Amino acid sequence: MPFLKKIYRWLNVRIGADEILEQELTGYRLPANINGWYSLGSVLLFALALQVVSGILLLVYYVPDADKAFASVTAIMNQVPFGWLIRMCHAVGSNLMVLVLILHMLSVLFMGSYKRPRELSWLSGFMLLNLVMAISLTGYLLPWSQLSFWATTVATNSFGAIPVVGGFLVEFLRGGKLVGPQTLGRFFALHVALIPLGIGALVGLHLFLLKRVGVSAPPFGLSDTGNQWQGDRYRYEDHPDGIPFFPNFVVKDLISICLYLAFLLLVVFFNPFIFFPKDAFIPANPFQTPAHIKPEWYFLANYQTLKIFPSELLGLTAQGVAMTFLALLPFIDRGRERHPLKRPLFLACSIGGIAVWIGLTIWGHYS
Amino acid sequence: MDISSRRKFLTVSLAALATAAGGATLYPLFRYLAPSRSAESGQKITLQLADIPEGGAKYFELNGTAAVLVKSKSGSLAAFSAVCTHLGCIVQWQKGQDQFLCPCHGGLFSVAGAVLAGPPPKPLEKLPFVVSGDSIVVG
Amino acid sequence: MNLPGKLIYGWKAIVVVIMATLAPVAPAMAQGETVCVQCHSTQSGRALKPVKPWQGSIHAENGISCHNCHGGDPKDAANAMNPERGFLGAPRETGIPAFCGRCHIGIKGDFITSAHGRALGQGGPTCVTCHGSHEIRKATLDLINEKSCTQCHSYDRARTIRQAMEQTENTLSSLAGRLESFKGQGVDTLPLEKRLFSQRNRYRSLFHEVDTVKVKDESAKIALELTALKTVLDKIDSEHRQRRIIGVFAVAATLLAALLLLLLRRTYSR
Repeated sequence: MPFLKKIYRWLNVRIGADEILEQELTGYRLPANINGWYSLGSVLLFALALQVVSGILLLVYYVPDADKAFASVTAIMNQVPFGWLIRMCHAVGSNLMVLVLILHMLSVLFMGSYKRPRELSWLSGFMLLNLVMAISLTGYLLPWSQLSFWATTVATNSFGAIPVVGGFLVEFLRGGKLVGPQTLGRFFALHVALIPLGIGALVGLHLFLLKRVGVSAPPFGLSDTGNQWQGDRYRYEDHPDGIPFFPNFVVKDLISICLYLAFLLLVVFFNPFIFFPKDAFIPANPFQTPAHIKPEWYFLANYQTLKIFPSELLGLTAQGVAMTFLALLPFIDRGRERHPLKRPLFLACSIGGIAVWIGLTIWGHYS
Repeated sequence: MDISSRRKFLTVSLAALATAAGGATLYPLFRYLAPSRSAESGQKITLQLADIPEGGAKYFELNGTAAVLVKSKSGSLAAFSAVCTHLGCIVQWQKGQDQFLCPCHGGLFSVAGAVLAGPPPKPLEKLPFVVSGDSIVVG
Repeated sequence: MNLPGKLIYGWKAIVVVIMATLAPVAPAMAQGETVCVQCHSTQSGRALKPVKPWQGSIHAENGISCHNCHGGDPKDAANAMNPERGFLGAPRETGIPAFCGRCHIGIKGDFITSAHGRALGQGGPTCVTCHGSHEIRKATLDLINEKSCTQCHSYDRARTIRQAMEQTENTLSSLAGRLESFKGQGVDTLPLEKRLFSQRNRYRSLFHEVDTVKVKDESAKIALELTALKTVLDKIDSEHRQRRIIGVFAVAATLLAALLLLLLRRTYSR
């Protein structure tokens, strides 16, 4: 298409598009032994974009008013053409996004990519995990179903265990003594404005750090799997003998994205209700707590922890300690070695940790 | 097949698939956002004669747009679309003068909908109505 | 169907109404037996007879105890059967519909106006003829049976009525089941449930009708409404099927894209 070529030429002589493309695509080299796990970041970007687009579309018909929210969601599911598809993509997408986020984090853990000089990448990623959980929690309330209402009641209630300020904090989060219309207002603002802004900013920082520090090479298939960082001054970790980002790795990213999308569509079209208990389709009733109210699967471990400790404060402290430990991991684990099999203590701890988390999740599900 | 022709074939197939996927995404998107057609046309509304005083007007919604029913001082009835033919403001009934005045640019219409003064290019659109007993059916 | 009395047909609604009026009594019962049950259990013969049947009844299941029907004081053994404490004892035959009808208001009306009710006191049946007195179970079509009906007349007309009712009953319960499963799938079932509820009430008002022509006519009308409702449900079902077909294509296309990309990637590998 000569016309498109002309536009490109017009642009090229003004902003040097060729140079940017060379630098960012074909000239951007990644480690030769890079693997599929490295594409999870792109999958997450895609998943986030899908959440943003479907979320904006839902805003067209959703009404953030306690009296109308449930009816508006019911209308989206039943009256608006393809409303069900967009809502299911958003709801199922949020669950899968958390899943991929956890996988992304685990791959970084096992390949030792969080180690110096990537502490900030880890920290920003960890904060993103927390923000994604927060945006899921706030979004959970918006349909104003029995499930929304009581899951939010239970979730906000756990902050009450914090000494001194706990009671006030719970009231502040809810905007009143109990979850009510005022809670919907603040959760809505958090869900569609504040937290998305925070996520956007942190994703920006995360990507900036990735580009500035350079991609870490996986510790597999190398003779020396130690950390090569010297720490005397800033150095970009380049891979002059690596594969070009475009087209080689972009294709790999696209494969992962397609697989993710296929899985998402499979759930959305065939059984989105694995993420929707019956209470999700009953309007909220502040005077009737349904039996067996459970949080979403990724909060089940937290939920069960609160239940097994003799006091909520202890449970909350245990969670706080675990989360702080995870956040500060790159500062605690300062060993040079990056290959998981050459780090027996790390391997034992992380597999044990994952087993405990999965165990608590299953226990929480069946308790 | 050598590498470059295989690559070309795959790229073209992928581009075709992507185009199809794009279309398959745009269609639901369009349907999702398109205004609902159910309440668009053929709607009729029944008003009570007693609701409209002599020389007064009654505004109501018909088929998604504003309509007005007036009873002139002489007692004759007329129904119009209340949308001014100039720039789409809603014309206001001037009680006592038996005229419609558009507040936006001063367009003036008679009780029969004809342009009396100002910029409107066309008379007000007349709406059909039937009187039966105490009620009027407009539309 | 808009009469408030008729709305009380659903047995759940009846229970709710009764529970609401008896709310202060119910917890006391949960704690222990009433003096009525305590005393009558130790007696023999006629006095013992009601205890066991009542314990297995739907009344006991829903917390409706002796005094709720027979009056008296369930806490004071000495005055339990004192008329001054509202003790009524057992009603006379002609008083039975009024006795039961204190709670089952709408049904009493249906019964009284039916041929059965009009023959009250002239050899006609009362509530207990078919339902029993203390062993009351949840009412089902099984109550219309050869044994009960032939106490007074032949079973022929009753059989016709029962057959007409059975069809409606089956359709009603199958539609209710389908609606219930739609509910868990985000379908807006509320307006449909309302339609079904009103047809069920209509059906229940036929329970005490003994005019075969009327039962057949009304059953046909209900069947018509239920068919319309079924059409709506079928439409939802077919839409869901359609979604799954689209889903097959969507998932297959995405997987095909992944496969093509995989082949493409091979052409880049060194």
